[in-house]
Amino acid sequence: MLSMKNINKVYQTEKVQTHALRDFDLEVSEGEFIAVTGPSGSGKTTFLNIAGMLESYSSGDYLLDDINVGKLSDNAKADLRNQKIGFIFQGFNLIPDLNLYENVEVPLRYRGIKSAQRKQRIMDCLEQVGLASRAKHLPQQLSGGQQQRVAIARALAGKPRFLLADEPTGNLDSLMARQVMDLLEQINRDGATIIMVTHDPELARRAPRNIQVVDGQLADFTLYQGAPDMHVSSHAAAQV
Amino acid sequence: MFECKPIFNSLLRSKAGAMMLLVQIAITVAIVSNASFIIYDRVQYLKQETGYPEESIFSFSITSFVEDFDQLQQIEIDESVLRGIPGVINAVNLSEIPLSGSGSASSIHTAPPPDTGRGVRAAYVLGDENSVDTLGVKIIAGRNFNQEDVVIQRSPDQVATVAIASKSFVEEMFPDGDGLGNTVFMGPYPVQIIGVVEKMMGPWLKDRKADNFIIFPMVVESTFQKMLVRTEPSERASVMKQVEALMLENNGDRVVSNVIGMDDDKALYNAGDMLMLRMLLVLIVVLVLITALGIYGLTMFNISKRTKQIGTRRALGARKSAIVRYFLIENSMVCSAGLLIGIVGAIYLGDALLKAYSLPALDIMYVVVTAIVVFCISVLSVIIPANRAANISPSIATRSV
Repeated sequence: MLSMKNINKVYQTEKVQTHALRDFDLEVSEGEFIAVTGPSGSGKTTFLNIAGMLESYSSGDYLLDDINVGKLSDNAKADLRNQKIGFIFQGFNLIPDLNLYENVEVPLRYRGIKSAQRKQRIMDCLEQVGLASRAKHLPQQLSGGQQQRVAIARALAGKPRFLLADEPTGNLDSLMARQVMDLLEQINRDGATIIMVTHDPELARRAPRNIQVVDGQLADFTLYQGAPDMHVSSHAAAQV
Repeated sequence: MFECKPIFNSLLRSKAGAMMLLVQIAITVAIVSNASFIIYDRVQYLKQETGYPEESIFSFSITSFVEDFDQLQQIEIDESVLRGIPGVINAVNLSEIPLSGSGSASSIHTAPPPDTGRGVRAAYVLGDENSVDTLGVKIIAGRNFNQEDVVIQRSPDQVATVAIASKSFVEEMFPDGDGLGNTVFMGPYPVQIIGVVEKMMGPWLKDRKADNFIIFPMVVESTFQKMLVRTEPSERASVMKQVEALMLENNGDRVVSNVIGMDDDKALYNAGDMLMLRMLLVLIVVLVLITALGIYGLTMFNISKRTKQIGTRRALGARKSAIVRYFLIENSMVCSAGLLIGIVGAIYLGDALLKAYSLPALDIMYVVVTAIVVFCISVLSVIIPANRAANISPSIATRSV
């Protein structure tokens, strides 16, 4: 479903070349829930950005649902993001001047879905995250956890096959973090493939598959089958 | 696709910046449309036909400081000296110079006092049979003066009995079209209209009846005389240079002053209008520039404030064109509201100016055209910042900014 082969990402400044990703290989199958961990600056977010087509890569091959992403135009990438990928950001990234309903509506408008259809889907998604009754509220009237649930509703609204989450619980307390994680697990059970970047070893353990990024490379690859293990925690603990 | 409703809601929720811009646009439309209309009105006024070949005519004044000589004979001599200068077509002694801002006017009636009948105000000038030719105006009905018509005034009761008048005056005085040959009264004195001139303006262009003008065939003794000279257009400058020396040559006991072309004399009279015109132009340019910069600045500010939001929108599937469209629609909404208020303001301002300064009623087309121009400028001012916004990378969404 997602296939990265020899992906390299080089940031070039006047005098310095920084390799954010080196020969990065990854295969993700449909329905997986992957936690990506690694020290700060290791390239986790760069990987997520490339996976989500938010930035380009310097070399290598990236296929998303057998589509060669490297050959797509800017508009085609925007359309593909809109149709296949849902994003959940650490800082929620809700638009402060729009109410919850309008925030969830944003990706649907870009897809050109008609108003009546949009309404049904937005209310379903807000219902799913338990915030349907607050559709007219503005983001700043909600707690952090509630805001992240709205962001999840927004990510779900377009019925994406992929959910990319960048530290989705990074700005939340542990209780709210757990609630969000419960929600993500439910979404995964419903069929969406999730890739989640996290610093939190406890959350990482809840993902069936963990990968580690160190110095822009896939340093370790461990497949968990639900059993908690501290295999990746040495890296995670080092940066806490 | 056009996101009008959320943009509108979003504007309502954070209105401070938008309100400032809206007020600025409204003020710009109200002032610029009125200023443009005033400029148009003044330009029409300045461009108006006066009936005279202004660039071929000049005038000057002669002040004698010796009184015991035959002034009337001196006028004859002066006129003939002037006519002798190569390039001069004709010259005449006139009591006042048209378009100069200085002259005489009176109410002319259809009957003598006490029952004066209809009265029409007109400016007038006194001059001999060369007046019409020297002024370069065209008689469209009747005849020119001859020498017998000219009254040399040596006592106050010696007045002209005939006159040549502008078409505008004759038509106002005799609406039935029977003005030529008819008699009017200047006080108790009857005057027969023997000729009608197509167009000749009086001394005051700003007068509501500026083209009501009459020439009486009279020459009056005075130590202060005004002379009008018509030359070939290319010769005027050189004749003007010679005139003082030639006048003093045949009589040195006097001063020649104020040698000035008719067009320059008119420009002097209209100097205030020209100044106002220039100031209004500067005002328009400054206002439009400030508004354009205001829109540009506010959009740039909005973009820097919403960098992450724009990145997020791109991440959620917005094409670059959708971002540009977002800012264009947002600007169009603020601008349209400003234009609506501005149009109403312009009409009220126009009305106030009409009442306070007797300006002509504002032509609504000026408001509409100004509104369209301001709208276009606002769109142009927003395009550069909007394109910059569209180029914000979607990866900004995952960065901590």
